[in-house]
Amino acid sequence: MATMTPPSGDIKLGPDRNGRIGKPLHLPILENLGFDSQFGPYYLGIWNVAAFFFGIMFTFIWLTVMFSQVGWNPVAFVKYFVVLQIDPPSALYGLSFPPLEEGGWWLMSTFFLTLAILCWFMHIYTRARALGLRPYLAYGFSGAVLLYLVIYIIRPMWMADWSEAPSHGIKALLDWTNNVSIRYGNFYYNPFHMLSIFFLLGSTVLLAMHAGTIWALEKYAAHEEWAEMQAPGTGTERAQLLWRWCIGFNANAYSIHLWAFWFAWLCGVTGAVGIFLSQPTFVANWFQWGIEAGINFPQLPPGP
Amino acid sequence: MSGKAPKDPRFPDLSYTVLDGARSTRVAGGRTIEELEPEYKIKGRTTFSSLFKYDPFDFWVGPFYVGFWGFISVLGIIFGVYFYVNAVIINGPYSIPQNFFAGRIDPPPASVGLALATPGQPGFAWQMTVLFATTAFVGWMMRQVDISMKLDMGYHVAIAYGVAVSAWITLQILRPIAMGQWHEGFVLGVLPHLDWISNFGYRYKNFFYNPFHAIGITGLFTSTFLLSAHGSIILSAAQYRGADSGDIEDTFFRDVQYYSVGETGIHRLGFIVACGGVLSANMCILLSGWVVQDWVSFWNFWNSLPFWSGV
Repeated sequence: MATMTPPSGDIKLGPDRNGRIGKPLHLPILENLGFDSQFGPYYLGIWNVAAFFFGIMFTFIWLTVMFSQVGWNPVAFVKYFVVLQIDPPSALYGLSFPPLEEGGWWLMSTFFLTLAILCWFMHIYTRARALGLRPYLAYGFSGAVLLYLVIYIIRPMWMADWSEAPSHGIKALLDWTNNVSIRYGNFYYNPFHMLSIFFLLGSTVLLAMHAGTIWALEKYAAHEEWAEMQAPGTGTERAQLLWRWCIGFNANAYSIHLWAFWFAWLCGVTGAVGIFLSQPTFVANWFQWGIEAGINFPQLPPGP
Repeated sequence: MSGKAPKDPRFPDLSYTVLDGARSTRVAGGRTIEELEPEYKIKGRTTFSSLFKYDPFDFWVGPFYVGFWGFISVLGIIFGVYFYVNAVIINGPYSIPQNFFAGRIDPPPASVGLALATPGQPGFAWQMTVLFATTAFVGWMMRQVDISMKLDMGYHVAIAYGVAVSAWITLQILRPIAMGQWHEGFVLGVLPHLDWISNFGYRYKNFFYNPFHAIGITGLFTSTFLLSAHGSIILSAAQYRGADSGDIEDTFFRDVQYYSVGETGIHRLGFIVACGGVLSANMCILLSGWVVQDWVSFWNFWNSLPFWSGV
């Protein structure tokens, strides 16, 4: 009988092993939970290093400016951490560069944050290419990157107003999300927001369905998905029959991951469209849009 | 258990073993449904045949398995859809296509309390729809238990579905009971239920400040992220033609982010994150109005913690 998760033993390095540093660490107890026990070795690529460098620059500016806002008092920094924030330049400045304390820090930190995200995209793209994989992870990440770029860069620049972007801060991000919905007439009536929520909840459902199916079939080796795609065995057959008998149709070991990819990707992309359209030029009030589209009826019609 | 000795005595190998021969059943390219399905269509091995030695509905209709719980579920679907379509679509206030979006069934008025409305009274259609929908959902979950028993699987799918059903039960049954009136249930209807969610958030001042809401949203975002990462790496691996085919996913994620959670691990992690997010969302609804009236002033405790008073 074979062990479900055989110990990894010697690490098998793929092609292009240059740049990996250190030895793998093992935490064997993770195997008992079904998780892989091996950490590392660490791959040190230029895009990885660049992403971490710019990410640390962003974090450093963010934390330091917030720290200065409480007079460098560490207790106050912890106490007020979630409500401290760096605001973008006010609308008066347009797209010009304002003084540091009036939005300059925001522009600078956002610049580094954007670079960090784009470098991370290049990191997962180039690493997939180097290993001979098609870069689907980068394709999937592009949905999240697009949503970020629309919210922080594209839409504010299109509106020539950096103050449309969220401030950097924990509470500030929640407040921006709340306020952008109210300012544009309630996002619940925004059809692209509806689609994005559909794909968000749909992704959670798909993940629970797929993960539950495979976890339930570990003893039939259904989790060995590469092998199951090449030659489906009894594990995959049972997984398919469960859904065929339950909902009348089924995916297979390959196509369920197509469903997964598109649901998750479309969550970010439809969200980006919904945010971008929310501006005076396009749709200033989604509540009103709902009335005109014939899906929102604030008043009941008069009785007969 | 594995026949081999554990590699580290402090961490005995508690993982169960892949059933004998599971891997040897693999057929290159796979078998069609027509080829494989008859092997698995066996009689018995359902909840009812285990308990009573007999399941009167132990058969299939087309691709669908029925079973006793399928029968219960179909009853719930038929009656629930009848009450919903009758009140929302056919007798709704607008034209039929507009009723699809804007038609609504309101819960009973507050004066009804936790009583049952009689036919013709306001709230009757809501109570009937909720009753039969709950029957359909629970029946559907138990049918998943039946199918899992028949296929000798774990009950993870039924448990995950049960977590989703628990959100419905929390919103429509548990919280109204905790609040003492069915009026607290949400309005049934496509756009009206969105209005209800929107109003619910502001009724308790600001739902973004509700920590269980925050954890729930984090669970949903993390689920989408995990789904994207898992789906994409399997699509990549499916088209991979290099060496170490079985390990390329692990190699890639170790390079990218130092750690790969592994092929059993990703499914366990995904299951836990998806279900955990929804369970936290249940808490954020249940506590609102019952325990916490205002999620903004809820955080006042933070500023009045003794060790930083005066800062």
